Amino acid sequence: MSGDAARRSSPDLSTRVGPLRLQNPILTASGTFGYGLEFADRADLHRLGGLVTKGLSLEPLAGNPPVRIAETRGGMLNSIGLQNIGVDRFLSDVLPGLKDLPPKVIVNLFGYAQDEYVRLAERVDPYEGVAAVELNVSCPNVSKGGIEFGHDPEILAGLVRRVRSATGKPIVVKLSPNVTSPQDLGRAAKDGGADILSAVNTFVGMAIDTATMRPVLSTVRGGLSGPAIKPLALRIVFDVAREVDLPVIGIGGIETVDDVLEFLLAGASAVQVGTALFRDPRTAERLVDGLRERLRTGGIPSVDSLIGAAARPE
Amino acid sequence: MLDVQALPLPYFLLRVRVAAMEPAEPGQFVMVAGANRPEPYLRRAFSVYDQEAAADGSLVISLLGKVIGRGTEALAACLPGERIPVLGPLGRGFHSVASRISGYDGSGSGRAALVAGGIGSAGLGLLAQALARAGRSFDFFYGGRSAEDLVEAETFRRLSERTGGRLVKTTEDGSAGERGLITVPLKAGLRAGAGYTTVCTCGPHGLMAAVAGIAAASGVVGEAATETPMGCGYGACLGCAVTLKNGGYALCCRQGPVFRLDEVAW
Repeated sequence: MSGDAARRSSPDLSTRVGPLRLQNPILTASGTFGYGLEFADRADLHRLGGLVTKGLSLEPLAGNPPVRIAETRGGMLNSIGLQNIGVDRFLSDVLPGLKDLPPKVIVNLFGYAQDEYVRLAERVDPYEGVAAVELNVSCPNVSKGGIEFGHDPEILAGLVRRVRSATGKPIVVKLSPNVTSPQDLGRAAKDGGADILSAVNTFVGMAIDTATMRPVLSTVRGGLSGPAIKPLALRIVFDVAREVDLPVIGIGGIETVDDVLEFLLAGASAVQVGTALFRDPRTAERLVDGLRERLRTGGIPSVDSLIGAAARPE
Repeated sequence: MLDVQALPLPYFLLRVRVAAMEPAEPGQFVMVAGANRPEPYLRRAFSVYDQEAAADGSLVISLLGKVIGRGTEALAACLPGERIPVLGPLGRGFHSVASRISGYDGSGSGRAALVAGGIGSAGLGLLAQALARAGRSFDFFYGGRSAEDLVEAETFRRLSERTGGRLVKTTEDGSAGERGLITVPLKAGLRAGAGYTTVCTCGPHGLMAAVAGIAAASGVVGEAATETPMGCGYGACLGCAVTLKNGGYALCCRQGPVFRLDEVAW
């Protein structure tokens, strides 16, 4: 192994997130990197720990009318409306190109009714290339479905239970931050049979155009993401990781190696990078390199030794 | 960043050396941001206004801009020698109509009308050059509020005259060219049989919508370089939807920014 290659693989960044084994703890977040494959010329997909697809529904969705995004201080609001190609086209056209790459493919699923989640889970279950399913039960941008499943512990537990019976794949439940106590929802997801929690989805927000005196987004409200939400997301990951006995994937405004470390120290076993990819499609691989470098210079033997360290008594 | 040319306020011209970038096609764009500035958060989309291959194999691109907010402010404040992030070339440029009918690739015939509103001229720079290179005749219709908004008028005069065409200016305050909107001489040109077989436009939404209507009424096809709020510029965020006449949406950054005039729901 050349010096460069050795530096690229040491220390070992591989990590276990419940039943998932990842080559590193850096994933791309749903809705921020399409289906991965279409950006193979803009980023080195091989180096990601995992890739979470754009939310998939049973039928293709066209998404919301413009205006769909609004820049804010330290981030942006979006109201894309779950535009996607539908689960069948993903499985036939995209997955074959992804399944032999090193990153684990996590399929984000979205339905308007519980039955749709079940059917989606059944649909992806036979595909070996799908490492896990992530249930989007917290999208703030659709008028029905989705969000209601993520805001009521009993309904969420029931939904996860039904999906559990439909697939043997690991189930990730993506938590909403727009509740008083996300850890209660995390506990409910665990009761329903979830294997992993991801936290958090976007925060509901809005922006107003002072020139037109109207809301900027066509749907009025949208989901806030980017560095602005990092401290809020970090607090939720800290609480959920401490109070729910499931591995957590941290999400929320992650852009630097320090951000990654903070989420790991708060108790996340891995992280998803999202909005930062809009600024630079190579953010995720840059973080993989940066994290390795930081571990080496800090004499930190593994990612594992960091997870939850900030929550332990001194 | 090679240099920042301060044009009459609020306009500016950036020249940036990019190490590894394919030359842009007319109408393509890049995503750029100020150097080492965390804010504003998202990069900004800029048409490649001009480009030249440098002796060392790198490409020097020119971005013509107008300070309208935090992003353009940060860019106008860049200093020569600073390194700024550039992603591109992105999107689909002028191709279908331009190359088929009044082709800058030299394959077509007929004349073109290029219609710019203010800083929209930035989106037509490479197209005007390509037409001039291919010997395709075009007239350049350049409208603005006031004389200083016709920031690159002399460049477009030179290019259009090289093809036997001309520059037509209008301003709303009458400080340059005829007083009024640029759609007035465009309509007159079409009526007078100036021989246009295509109209290409870039500018404010209202102007492009009006041009689409005029072109349709005259049975002339054309294209528009559109603009929407953009998150990433490369198809990841799905934020830059443009509503099409068929009821669907297209991504400005990937299926556009150049669309056929008759496919957009203006």
